This record gives sequence, structure tokens and C-alpha cells, in this order.
Amino acid sequence: MNIIETKGLTKVYSSSFKKNKVQALVDFNLNVEKGVIFGLLGPNGAGKTTLVKLLLGITFPTAGSASMIERDIYDYKTKKEIGYLPENHKYPSYLKGGEVLKYFGRLSGMNGASLDKRIDELLELVKLSQWKKTKVKAYSKGMMQRLGLAQALINDPELIFLDEPTDGVDPIGRKEIRDILSELKSRQKTIFLNSHLLSEVELITDRVGILNKGRLLREGTVKELTEKKEEYKLVLDGENTALDNSGFTKQSDGSFLVKVSDINELNKIIDNIRRKGILLKEVVPLKSTLEEMFISLINESEKAVNE
Amino acid sequence: MNNIWITTWYTVREAFARKVFLFFIGLSTLAIIISAIVVSVLSDAALQSSITVHNQNLMFDQIVTSIELMIITPLISLGILLAIFSSASFVPHMLEKGNIDLHLSKPISRSQLLLGKYFGGLLVVFINIAFLVIGIWLVISTRFWIFNFAFLYVILSVTFTFAVLYALIVLFGVVTQSSVLGMMSAYFIFLILSPLLYAGRTKFGAIITSDFLKSVIDFFYYLIPKTSELIGELTVNLAVGQGIVDWQPILTSLAFMLVALGYSIYLFNKKDF
Repeated sequence: MNIIETKGLTKVYSSSFKKNKVQALVDFNLNVEKGVIFGLLGPNGAGKTTLVKLLLGITFPTAGSASMIERDIYDYKTKKEIGYLPENHKYPSYLKGGEVLKYFGRLSGMNGASLDKRIDELLELVKLSQWKKTKVKAYSKGMMQRLGLAQALINDPELIFLDEPTDGVDPIGRKEIRDILSELKSRQKTIFLNSHLLSEVELITDRVGILNKGRLLREGTVKELTEKKEEYKLVLDGENTALDNSGFTKQSDGSFLVKVSDINELNKIIDNIRRKGILLKEVVPLKSTLEEMFISLINESEKAVNE
Repeated sequence: MNNIWITTWYTVREAFARKVFLFFIGLSTLAIIISAIVVSVLSDAALQSSITVHNQNLMFDQIVTSIELMIITPLISLGILLAIFSSASFVPHMLEKGNIDLHLSKPISRSQLLLGKYFGGLLVVFINIAFLVIGIWLVISTRFWIFNFAFLYVILSVTFTFAVLYALIVLFGVVTQSSVLGMMSAYFIFLILSPLLYAGRTKFGAIITSDFLKSVIDFFYYLIPKTSELIGELTVNLAVGQGIVDWQPILTSLAFMLVALGYSIYLFNKKDF
């Protein structure tokens, strides 16, 4: 089941006073399945936040359609099952931590003892129990972020949007947030994550989308996106110099890099090596890091636009 | 309905977290205490002989109502000025980035959110005005043991006057996402335009000879809320027990309020954040 579906979603910002128009999102098509952690990556101004705002009805599409939990995005009641942690969120400064959760819990349709219980559970989860009765204006950035996460989870939502959830959080806190997200995933919750921290996204997401200038460049699992399809590492058994002058690139660890056009060519190379009586220990498809792949993809896309 | 009430209630909390509303409550308390001291030293007989209207002595209950009006009139004007100042930022504050995103991500419609803010502002002013009016009324009524319940209608007329101006403040808040323009417009109508248009039709009506100018004054008079009459004649008539003598200022001001509020909701429902 797709929990998010967008069809040709487009957002153009135009001003009545200025002639120029900004295309924040262009013909955006995406399906996100239930129970996955989906990471949306992109440089600043790529359209990541615009997409979330469109889905949540904070801003309206210029064209296209979208649905969440099989309901149209215009139906505000769908939000009963949605949690959202915006980037740079602001809470009423006169409220205490527990009161912030109570306020947003009540707006989410909760009340009474069940809400009070939920508030205590969440404050415990984000390690803010002892700050429950402190006004939020005294909170640090990291604490605000933790409170924001608790706020996003107050109604035990099916779909959770998190915009830079670890922003301002220390490394231990980040690990704790990752653990919380993994636990949510194990309960079949869907998490939609916007982040600049590629290494973190790589650690926790099931699927990743890469966005630039409002266009979805690629989408898939981290493995699919980082695999270099034409490059393999060959690890030979023992100290073997038979391939030293074969044209393959020798690595410092004694292994060899081969570039092939397709899988048939790779198998031909392996056959040749085996015919020479050389024992192969490993054939490893080469992978780039998500960061390398991201930078190369964005550069390619920029180059294509400039041409 | 529950969503509107939640937003209303938290707007009241927001208001009382601000010093200006506490300042108003403090000022009202001071006014009530001073009134209590002043009326406690007044002699009944001296009052009866000193207060006359058109050279005729008033009945004692009329004297008491006059004292109540003398004290409350400047205070309610000050109350409206303070209320405009302190409530003008409710909507722009809600529309700030990071705050509006959170609110709109909850299962509450935009109309409910804006109405909650509107009713929250009204409720705060109602509480403040009620505190002041009931305080003054109690002090004077218990001193002379004359209870003019009609005087309490002042609470409604003042709250209604504010409601009309607040609808304009909300409209400007939605359009500009700033409190300045709304506040300035409300002050301009309350302090200048409404009294001037009223005077233009009544006191200066005879000396304006141009039909065109008269038509212009009439147009703006009916268009702009009649805060001057609401806070003046209507409040006095209600306080002395005469009831509503002229419905026109109420109905035209109500129409203005409904149009301003309706347009605010329409714009808010269309706005990108």
C-alpha cells in the first residue's frame, strides 16, 4: 500500500509585484510505501520543504494531485494520522514543555488521561521528563528538537514527516533519535525524512529520493543508488602477480579494479582468469558513498541545466 | 467546535502571558480602588443637590448612574486603546514561520484556527472589560445601595465595539502578516474617522452646503464602523436603561465586522505559507 502518492505535483511561486516565477516543484511523481523510512535529499532550495508543505496543506499546488493514507491532501482530517516536525519550529514561549505537548495533542483530537499518559511516555522517550514543567523559552536548541519530535509523535501517527530532525542535536542525541525512528519503523510507521546529513540518511533510510531544482532526479534504495554498476573489485587468492600487467588497476590491498560494459564482459574476464588457473576469492560490485553519488548526481543535473 | 474552543482558550493564555493585559487588569483594579475611596466620602444629600440636568434635580438612582458613567466612560476608551494594542499581534504571531506550519499540520481547518484566534482576542477583552465594569458597578452600587443592572450592558457594547475593530485588525493581520497596519487602521477609525464622520453628519451637517460632499460623507459614514456612536450614545442609552434607540449603527457596524471577518477567512484559506 502506498501511503504517499503524488502525480505531476507542481508548485510555482509567483508574486503579484515581480514578474519572475520560481518553480519550486516540477511534475513531481512519487510513491512511498507504508512502513518504510524514506529520505528526501537535495541541496538548499531543491524543493524538499515545499513538497512536505504541499502534502500537509500548508501551501497549495499549482498543478497535479497528491494523496496520503489513501485520502486527498485537501482533507484536513487526514492529519489526525500524521505527525510533523518542521524545520525551525516555534512553540508558544509562555508554555512549559508538557503544556506544548498538551496543546498540540488537543489540536490533534486527544484529551483526558490518555493524553496525559502519552505526554509522560513521550517526554521519557526523548529524555525530557525532568524538563516537563520548564517553560520552553529556557530550552536549548537540542532540547527544542527533542520536544519537536515528541510533538510530532503525540497522536501516535501512521505517517511522520521530519524536517532536519537532528539539527542542533549532539551525536549521542542523534543516535537516540535514530533508535526512536528504527523503533517506529518496526511498528510499521512510515517516516518521511528531509535531511542534509547524508551519512545519517544512509544509516536509517530504506529508500531515498534525490531532488534538485524541484525535479526528482533519482529514487531507490540506498544500495541501488550507490552501486557502481560497471565497476568490480576482484580479490585473488593469496599473493598473485599473474594479473599485474593485464591492464586491470591494482589496488594497494592487492585486489584489482575492473571496468566492464555489462555482466557478460565481467563473466568473460572471470573465465579468462580461471583459465589461467588463478583462484578468485571475491568479486565485489563497487559502491560509492551516498554523499559521492549525491554530489555527482547534483553536478550532472546542474551541468545538464546549464547546457 | 472543539478546535475553535482550544484555539480560543490558548489565545486567552497567550494574552495573559503578555504584560499589557496584566497592566490593564492592574489599571482597572486601581480605578476600582480609587472609585471606592471617592464614592465613600461623598455625601448623599450633597450629591442630590449638586447634580442637575437642565436645572432640574435628578432622582437619586439617576445620580448613581451618572456617577457610574462619569467614571467608566474615560476608562472604556482607554480600555479599547489598550485592547487594540495588545491584541493586534495575535494573528501575525500565529502566522510566523515555524508556528503556522505546526498549526496547519494538525487536524484543524484554517477557518477554525482563525476563528479561534478571533474569539480568543474577544474573550480576553470581554474578561478585562467585565472586570472593570463589574468592579466599578459593585463599588458604586454597594455604596449607595442602588443596583442599576442595566449598567452592566456596558460590557456588551464595549466588547461589540472592540469586536468590530478586531475584525479589521485580523484582516490586516492575514494580508500583511504584521500587526502595525491593523493597529494603525483601528486607531484611525476609532480616534479620528468615526468621530469625524459622525460630527460631519450631525454637528457640521447644517454648514456643509455641497451635496457631493454630503454624499461622500454619507458613503463613508455607512461604510466605516460607527465606533464613536457605539461607545457613546449606545453605551449611555444601555447604561441608563433606555435600551437600543437606534439600530442603524449596530447593524452597519455588524455588517462591516462580518464582511471583514469573512474576507479574512477567505484569504487565510487561500494563502500559501
